[in-house]
Amino acid sequence: MSRLRYFVRRTFITAFLIFLVASALFLFFRLMPGDYTALLTQQGMQPDQIARLEAKWGLNEPMHIQYVSYVTNLLTADAGQSFRHGAPVWDLVKPRIINSFILVAPAITATYIIGGTLGAVIGKYRGGLFEKSSIISVSVFHSIPDFFLGILLIAAFSETAGIFPTSGMLSTRTSILMQGEPFYAKFFLKEFWMHYALPFATITLYFMQYPALIMRNSVVEVSDQEFLHYHRLKGLPQSKLLQKLIRHASLPVITLYPISLATSISGLVLIEVVFNWPGIGRLLVDSVLARDFPVIQFVFLVAAVWVILGNFVVDLLYGVIDPRVSVEGDGE
Amino acid sequence: MSEPILEFEDVDITYRTTGDSDVHAVNSASFAIEEHDYFGLVGESGCGKSTLADSIVGGLDDNGEVTSGKIRYKGEEIQDYSESEFNKKIRWKEISVIPQSSMNSLDPVMKLSDQAIEMAKYHTDLTKAEAVDRLRELFDVVGISESRIHDYPHQFSGGMQQRTIIAFSLFLQPSLIIADEPTTALDVIMQDQILDYINDLKDDWDISMLMITHDISIVFENCDSMAVMHGGQMAETGRVVDLFDRPRHPYAILLQNAFPDVRFPDRELAVIDGHPPQLLDDPDYCTFADRCPWAVEDCRRGAPDPQEIEGDADHRAWCIRADEMEDLAADHLAPATGETSILEEDT
Amino acid sequence: MSNETPVLELRSLEKYFDTSSGLFDAVKNRILGDGPSYVRAVDGVNMKLEQNQVQGVIGESGCGKTTLLRTLIGLYNPTGGELLFHGRPVSEFDKDEWKEFRRHVQIIFQDPFNSLDPKFSVRRTLAEPLEIHNMEYDDERIAEMLESVGLTPPEKYLTRFPNQLSGGEKQRVAIARALITEPDIILADEPASMLDVSTQAEILNLLNKLTDEFGVSMVYISHDLSTVSYICDTINVMYLGRVVEEAPTRTLLAEPKHPYTKALIQSIPIPDPHYDRKRPDLDGEPGDPINMPEGCRFKNRCPKRMDICDRKPLDIALEGEDDHTVACHLYYDHDEVEGDQPEPTADPASSATSAGDAA
Repeated sequence: MSRLRYFVRRTFITAFLIFLVASALFLFFRLMPGDYTALLTQQGMQPDQIARLEAKWGLNEPMHIQYVSYVTNLLTADAGQSFRHGAPVWDLVKPRIINSFILVAPAITATYIIGGTLGAVIGKYRGGLFEKSSIISVSVFHSIPDFFLGILLIAAFSETAGIFPTSGMLSTRTSILMQGEPFYAKFFLKEFWMHYALPFATITLYFMQYPALIMRNSVVEVSDQEFLHYHRLKGLPQSKLLQKLIRHASLPVITLYPISLATSISGLVLIEVVFNWPGIGRLLVDSVLARDFPVIQFVFLVAAVWVILGNFVVDLLYGVIDPRVSVEGDGE
Repeated sequence: MSEPILEFEDVDITYRTTGDSDVHAVNSASFAIEEHDYFGLVGESGCGKSTLADSIVGGLDDNGEVTSGKIRYKGEEIQDYSESEFNKKIRWKEISVIPQSSMNSLDPVMKLSDQAIEMAKYHTDLTKAEAVDRLRELFDVVGISESRIHDYPHQFSGGMQQRTIIAFSLFLQPSLIIADEPTTALDVIMQDQILDYINDLKDDWDISMLMITHDISIVFENCDSMAVMHGGQMAETGRVVDLFDRPRHPYAILLQNAFPDVRFPDRELAVIDGHPPQLLDDPDYCTFADRCPWAVEDCRRGAPDPQEIEGDADHRAWCIRADEMEDLAADHLAPATGETSILEEDT
Repeated sequence: MSNETPVLELRSLEKYFDTSSGLFDAVKNRILGDGPSYVRAVDGVNMKLEQNQVQGVIGESGCGKTTLLRTLIGLYNPTGGELLFHGRPVSEFDKDEWKEFRRHVQIIFQDPFNSLDPKFSVRRTLAEPLEIHNMEYDDERIAEMLESVGLTPPEKYLTRFPNQLSGGEKQRVAIARALITEPDIILADEPASMLDVSTQAEILNLLNKLTDEFGVSMVYISHDLSTVSYICDTINVMYLGRVVEEAPTRTLLAEPKHPYTKALIQSIPIPDPHYDRKRPDLDGEPGDPINMPEGCRFKNRCPKRMDICDRKPLDIALEGEDDHTVACHLYYDHDEVEGDQPEPTADPASSATSAGDAA
């Protein structure tokens, strides 16, 4: 079955890409001026101490041996130890990934549901004031840098109106209380949702432009397609025609969804800093400031895998919803 | 003669535009298609022929409207039908359509069998299995392997998609099929095969057909009656042989001569200068007047009324000089005299 | 230039496309030991275009006629064979010679609605090629050219933009643009097929007139034999990358030899209700350029198929008719002809080197 072949092929390519990125990261971090030990020297460490550490971390091994152990360790989710905290990188990064994901995934999903609906409506009923004002608003929200949009929201709803807290995921007191609880325990607290509202709104507003405008154009384009006209002439009822219009018009929007999810990670860094949200974006900034190379390297890898997996999901989705992609034509 | 299956009586069709003036796409169109007749509607792009076809099945765009006149299908006026009346009484059960661009008319994300099941769902009590069986039979009729009914449209070549469209048009055994440029996108050999299938339908399925095309040779070969349209107006209508032997509208005459005939490669092709007017007003003049070598002042004073040709009520030309055309256009009326076909079997 | 040297000559011209897509296929082919698979879009085409001659190339979509045209104008590099311009192989051209070649070989596209730059006035459309080729010009020259293509009075058209022109007028501008560099050769890609019938006749008549007036040669490709016959001196019938028959227009129409040519002619509708046309006896779909049969490529649709058709037919001139050649096993005695080899099978890589030898 050619569809199965398509999926296998995409999986193979995705795995290969991730491997490639991991290798490139390894290479780039070794090529950077000033090796790992330079940092330690700066911190006033004695050469014999450094040599001991190098032996402990395997840094005195030849490059290819280091590479092999790097790759095999990665396969067991072992990304080394943080310089700064001494803890395993994976343990440090894992909760941060969860925190970022619970912020960005629902926010982007909401963006696509609201934006897609908005786009469908203005595409179907074109030429009104509503269409114009919608287009202008979503464009304005996207033209403002995302972190600045966050600051504006904080100024309006936290500083002035005082409805929402300005930053963090929980208040300091609560987070101490919640220590040791599983990560989902906080979902039952109103306080968490109050903290959640503004960063969520920032992401939603900022990314609204893509689904809204693309859905609008797509609806306009699909409305003129011959096959819809043919469906109408065949005597399908209006509701069915509308359903088909939406289904076809959604194709480009659906495929954009995982891409937005993936690319949002770059904007996330600044949004997390503005809202002091303990996700990987903020972890990255903190680690860069502290020159915590193992963490930086792994966060880069996580970001790349995030993007690659996003695109992988796009490919799979497209294969399912549009047979032209995965089912080969015979074209006799 | 029994009642015509489809009759147009002074039909005007207008598209509203956002600008000042509406587009008067079709003006006082009148013709009739008899039961079991193949009727060809010929004209250049923009002459209103596709608009006219759309109006029969309620397929006009949202801004299009039949503003006056009557369209009768089997005696019943259908020009004011609502969308749901068209769905209930006309579409597919009575009149089906072979649309212009078959390549883009099949839903690209649905298997062909599913598209048939969908048709059955809204018009019949057939079960899914019965609907698929029905399609299987029709694939056999149009010469596509039955094993391919679960394919997607993009797996079919252009010719196969066109044949699928024909199979779909027969799905509910309609009385009338509207074929809008059924072969334009196809190569000659494929076009010939498709027209052959279409021709067989007449007797095998007892079907009447309205065939819309810019290619007058297809109408001459495949139709019984025909109409020629120009610039939103009727030019001439009648039996095909009458229009060939005794065309009386200048456009019908010139159009025939503009057509290449592979039998006579040395014949000079007629050129029709100019182009039809933009129909931004209600044309109270003959829209062909500016292109007509025989136009007189009166042609621009009022839209022409139909003239019966030699007392034949079926053969009518919308030209005030129709009676004189035999003399005026004498040069154009006997193009083939003195020439012999160069084709192999003719010599 | 001498009369013996054709303006343009194609010797076993080939254009193959590699169908494998990207890294994955390349790796797979390497692992499985497959060669790349080719689409043999143009496969050993011979043609001599004499001065002031109009050669037609006709065939169904997918037969390779558009690829042929693009190869002729230098948009594609031929993968095999030779293209000679005034007797000189274009593969040896340097940069200046290519520029000269481009001035002398002009093209008219099928779609007048998209082949003119919408932001260029008619004047600028015609001036641009002259500027590119550093040719002296003034408005008078442009006006003269507009008159030649029947756009009169020229002053009315000079400042117009494509959206202010009808389809026929656009195509006239395209023709003027092709002729203004005083080319030797015009390549025409069905220039009348997207126009209405009344305009179509106009463009065909104009091309007829202008090729005489300007003494240019033309390669005219089309799928429509009935219009081609009005304009071409000689017609090449192309099927799946190969020319299967070539003859002067009248001969080809009156005495077609190849079963495919016969089917093409018999398929043309005749605008005469009294005429009872014999429909061709032909099966199947147009050939698929990706999975072409070995030997004669038409054999699977041919009503006269024989066993010998599994071999590649030679391109043979008919007895007593030098200008009528046909590639069909029906028309030659196989004992007398040397080199009638079965076509190498299964291995596209090796046939890439040997195909076309027979011609």
